[in-house]
Amino acid sequence: MTLEEESFAIPITSLLEIAVPRAIQRDAKLSEIFEGKIDYRGKLIPVVNLKKILKLPGAVGGSMIVTKCGKGVVALLVDSAKELLETREAPVPLPPGVINSSLGYYAGVLRNRDELVLLLNEDGLLP
Amino acid sequence: MTNNYLLFRLGDRLFGISMEGALEILPWRKSRMVPLAYSYIEGLLDYRGTIYPVFQLALLLGLSRPGPIGFTAPDPMQPLKDRSIVLLREGDRRFGITVDSVVKMARLEHPDDQTSDIKGIQPHLILGRSFDEDQEIILLRFERLFHAG
Repeated sequence: MTLEEESFAIPITSLLEIAVPRAIQRDAKLSEIFEGKIDYRGKLIPVVNLKKILKLPGAVGGSMIVTKCGKGVVALLVDSAKELLETREAPVPLPPGVINSSLGYYAGVLRNRDELVLLLNEDGLLP
Repeated sequence: MTNNYLLFRLGDRLFGISMEGALEILPWRKSRMVPLAYSYIEGLLDYRGTIYPVFQLALLLGLSRPGPIGFTAPDPMQPLKDRSIVLLREGDRRFGITVDSVVKMARLEHPDDQTSDIKGIQPHLILGRSFDEDQEIILLRFERLFHAG
């Protein structure tokens, strides 16, 4: 998936569906990382603006990735769902000194051709 | 006692670090940005099978640079012709630092003047002052750079 032209990934085992966001029910009581809720297979699930979580600039993404995480099922808004990355390499841990280690947003770094892809820790994204 | 130093510029100042940990000097290239990283992190660089964190040395040192009006924060994404990334190793940790230009390698006496009081620079990163052809060189404690944040 991409956010502001940079590549990110989530494990395929967490992916439930890739969709176009529609019929988002706004809820002013939710914090600013949430765009609202959608009906997913008969259940209301939160829609999260991933750019807000990662403090990235730019408009809210036009693709939606429905994923399982520690907090349940959530829909992540991203700029695009780019490709399925198949790799035999284990993710490389983020080098120390890059980010506050108490922030659990990343599970590591993957190589995809000439590009580094940040692997998100889907269980650490939501507060 | 003399030691080999790599001399480089940041803004209008000349700095030196011990050659002991220097691995390679690369022309500056865009690093992989990491959202929510520390402010002095420029990004990650994949080079010859190793992923290096790249530090913006100017920010690590606490430097600000003269801009067109007064002082402005450095713009790390603004390419400078001679901007380079120096890859370093400290123990088992590898990292890169961005510098405006690499000047040369020089053999210098261990600094007699071990002042750490140099305006605008984090004192714990300063080894001392030295001179080369009448130019002041601020020698940095290479081994502390990685832990500076």
